[in-house]
Amino acid sequence: MTERMSNREGLKGMANPTRYGLERVAYWLQRLSGLGLLAYLIGHIYETSSIVNGKIAWDKMLELTQTTQGHLILTLVIGMCVYHTANGIRVMLGQGGIGVGKPGQPEYPYKAASLNYKQRLCIWVSIALAALAMMYGMAVLFGD
Amino acid sequence: MRESIIMKIHYGTALGAVALVTIHILFRMTQNFSESLQYQNVIANYHLLPYALMLEVVLILLSVHGFNGLRVILLELKQGIVYEKLINYGSIGAMAALIAYGSRTILMAGMGMS
Repeated sequence: MTERMSNREGLKGMANPTRYGLERVAYWLQRLSGLGLLAYLIGHIYETSSIVNGKIAWDKMLELTQTTQGHLILTLVIGMCVYHTANGIRVMLGQGGIGVGKPGQPEYPYKAASLNYKQRLCIWVSIALAALAMMYGMAVLFGD
Repeated sequence: MRESIIMKIHYGTALGAVALVTIHILFRMTQNFSESLQYQNVIANYHLLPYALMLEVVLILLSVHGFNGLRVILLELKQGIVYEKLINYGSIGAMAALIAYGSRTILMAGMGMS
């Protein structure tokens, strides 16, 4: 409790998406999807580098990645990519002062203008777009 | 460099990457997905100079954006002069290494050195 009050929870605190509402969940998903996408980028660059070793090496790599598990990972990557993009645009616009409301006198019950329905709607739309993209991706990947 | 400028670079690289990654994905959709991944098709993509140049730009944009994002997360987690220096230089090093490794693939495949 003392540790929590002193704001020194570290990684545990960062990994906890609860306590602060939907915006906190959006922040948590943005971080998580960012890390996932960075890991995928590194893996993808390593995977594609096998092409310089010739056709046999490339086909061997495809045998590893073009599997059900590989397609499931790719579907997850599609979802992370779409969510990260859509929510990232929301954050960018918010930092530019768009869609966060006008500053005003703090009055009871002290509702922050920045945490308005537009922001919440954008978060839900980002999640919905990610889900739709994942479904489309699955149809393409498993439809082959 | 000021953090405000770094954040502008972060957002700029994000917007650029979104546009170019869309083209990269659309290239895979020009034909059946598994067909598009066949060796000859992928090599043909690398031989197409505008596409190879676009891949290089995507690589740079995503590496800068990705490792700067990781840097921001790590700096939020802990602070300190030595730690911050380590994270800043470590991110730049990792970014450069990934760009160099990816560029090697683009260059070698594009020049037919496989």
